[in-house]
Amino acid sequence: MRRLGLRTRVTAAFAVGALLLAASMALVSYELTRRSLIDERERTALRAAYFDATVVRAGLDTDTPDVVEVLRSLDTGGSRRPVLHLDGEWYARTADPGTTTAIPTDLRQVVAAGKPAVQRVRVNGQTALVVGVPLSATATYFEVNSLLELEQTLQVLALALTTVAIMVAGSGAALGWYATRHGLRPLTAVADAAEKIAAGDFTARLDPATDPDLTRLSSSFNQMVDRLAHRIERDRRFAADVSHELRSPLQTLAAAASVLARRRQHQDERTALAAGLVADEIDRFQRLVNDLIDLARSDQPADRTPVDVAALAREACHTLDLSGSIVHLAPATPATWRVDRRRVAQVLANLLDNAVTYGGGPTSVVLSHDGSAGVIEVDDEGPGVPVEDREVIFERFVRGRAAHTRGAGDGTGLGLALVAQHAAAHGGHVTVTDRPGGGARFRVTLMDCLT
Amino acid sequence: MTAVLVIEDDDRIRLALLLALEDEGYEAVGAATAEEGLRAQRRAPADYVLVDLMLPGLNGFECIRQIRRDDDVPIVVVSARDDTHDIVAALEAGADDYVVKPVAIKELTARLRALRRRARSTVSGQVPEPVPVLAFGDLEISPDAGEVRCGGQPVPVTRTEFRLLCELAEHAGRVLSRQQLLSRVWGYDNGDERLVDVHVGRLRQKIEPDPANPKHLVTLRGLGYKLQR
Repeated sequence: MRRLGLRTRVTAAFAVGALLLAASMALVSYELTRRSLIDERERTALRAAYFDATVVRAGLDTDTPDVVEVLRSLDTGGSRRPVLHLDGEWYARTADPGTTTAIPTDLRQVVAAGKPAVQRVRVNGQTALVVGVPLSATATYFEVNSLLELEQTLQVLALALTTVAIMVAGSGAALGWYATRHGLRPLTAVADAAEKIAAGDFTARLDPATDPDLTRLSSSFNQMVDRLAHRIERDRRFAADVSHELRSPLQTLAAAASVLARRRQHQDERTALAAGLVADEIDRFQRLVNDLIDLARSDQPADRTPVDVAALAREACHTLDLSGSIVHLAPATPATWRVDRRRVAQVLANLLDNAVTYGGGPTSVVLSHDGSAGVIEVDDEGPGVPVEDREVIFERFVRGRAAHTRGAGDGTGLGLALVAQHAAAHGGHVTVTDRPGGGARFRVTLMDCLT
Repeated sequence: MTAVLVIEDDDRIRLALLLALEDEGYEAVGAATAEEGLRAQRRAPADYVLVDLMLPGLNGFECIRQIRRDDDVPIVVVSARDDTHDIVAALEAGADDYVVKPVAIKELTARLRALRRRARSTVSGQVPEPVPVLAFGDLEISPDAGEVRCGGQPVPVTRTEFRLLCELAEHAGRVLSRQQLLSRVWGYDNGDERLVDVHVGRLRQKIEPDPANPKHLVTLRGLGYKLQR
């Protein structure tokens, strides 16, 4: 299972914490309120019962008391129902049916023993408070108090407290979300800066003044970037210096070789042969140096601009004295792609050169697309590439079976490695397969070229 | 005979270049430092200047700037450095073209010939029929006289800048891609587009009232440049 994000976890913790806190607060308040309300209700009920008992006692003091009339004369309101137990008989108002059964036996016994008592009972699904007051040896007076109102009050209270608890939990979650957003903002800044740096912008830094608590993070981050930038700059300088040191003497050689070449007809055969060898090797050395420098730089991101790749491919063909008519643009594929012109030009040149040198010449260059990816396919009619060599040939300076079959001659051993690097700089790759009908098919995929 | 001044501090490279250029029929003069080259150019102006960037004393960029101050001679940088910063800085200083060492002599002379063609056609006035002055609001271009005026005042432009402006003016209101301009102005089949960008930037400094917000020489993103009123 995927681990939850920091933000989700903090938010959840805030929500749960707030809920627990609010719920316990609500429970305590509910319980306290309930108790005090019930106590209050009991006291009221007791007072009322004693008062009513006095009235009943007075009513019964006559010789022939009309018990029901006495009960009826009580001002009990809607919530109290009087019951009288006189000489083993139960008396209640006709308007209050079933109340006698509500009085529990143990309460009856306690009161009959001469002690006033209070008990809560459930009658017809409702809670009620029964108060018993002894009147005389044979008479006990009971009052059944309905607690319906109290229950309703408590229900409203419980509802209100639950709502508050849920709202508090929600606020907790919102607070957690906000706090993490606020807390993670410096990390967002770090991520933004890191992305910029990864994209090659080494001027990106964190502002160390934003928050005193984050000074260490920003200063060490900035220090790291400084060192990285310094190291990359040093490497770049080194590559530039090396290229300079190698290229300068090559310029002398190239110019001197052209002077020799111009005088070939005046040279004896052996001198001319030697001069020719020198010129050829200077040419190869020059290509090797250029390839090495390109390879050293190829980790840089592709510098994409809109490029007419079809025209570029035809141009590459012309440079190698090939016909531009071997270039085909697949139907529905636009000619203009967003690519690094220099790199794609080199990809085309190297693949064509490879086909000329080892594949008996290219038979076609097909430009097509796969979604937003541009696809370049260069076919030749040579012997093809054995399956076991199909990855090796894209490595640098490959000298093995692959080199003997394909890499010998005047190549630099870097051409296909550069093709792979340039494809990678476009987020793509290069593969080689068999062309239907014999020969090799090199397929370069360049990502996000078509928008 | 066409004279070429080679400003190159490496004795061997300079000697080899002089030998090879003379073989190709140029009258080649060497200078080991920028100062020496500047003196030589003042004394006997050459038709082309080849200059290295890494020079002792005054560096190549400054050398180009000083030549450019009072001379529109085509300047080609011949440097072992192919760093973007260096190329752009050299072109901004006023160079017309940039080749990276080692350059084949055939390639170098081809570059010089391309520069020569446009120098002839625009300055020596070999166009048989007079071409009318092309006006773009307050910007006036006289292809025959080789003059550019902005608000009536003559604007000093180099030959390459002038050629670029004429090319855009001939296709007024139409977009020319960087590759088209490279091919027509510099004679490159598949060249470095920065060459165009830097020259356009330099032209804007000269002909636009507000180079940051050009009104005549406008960029069409991803397409190229066009000249308009």
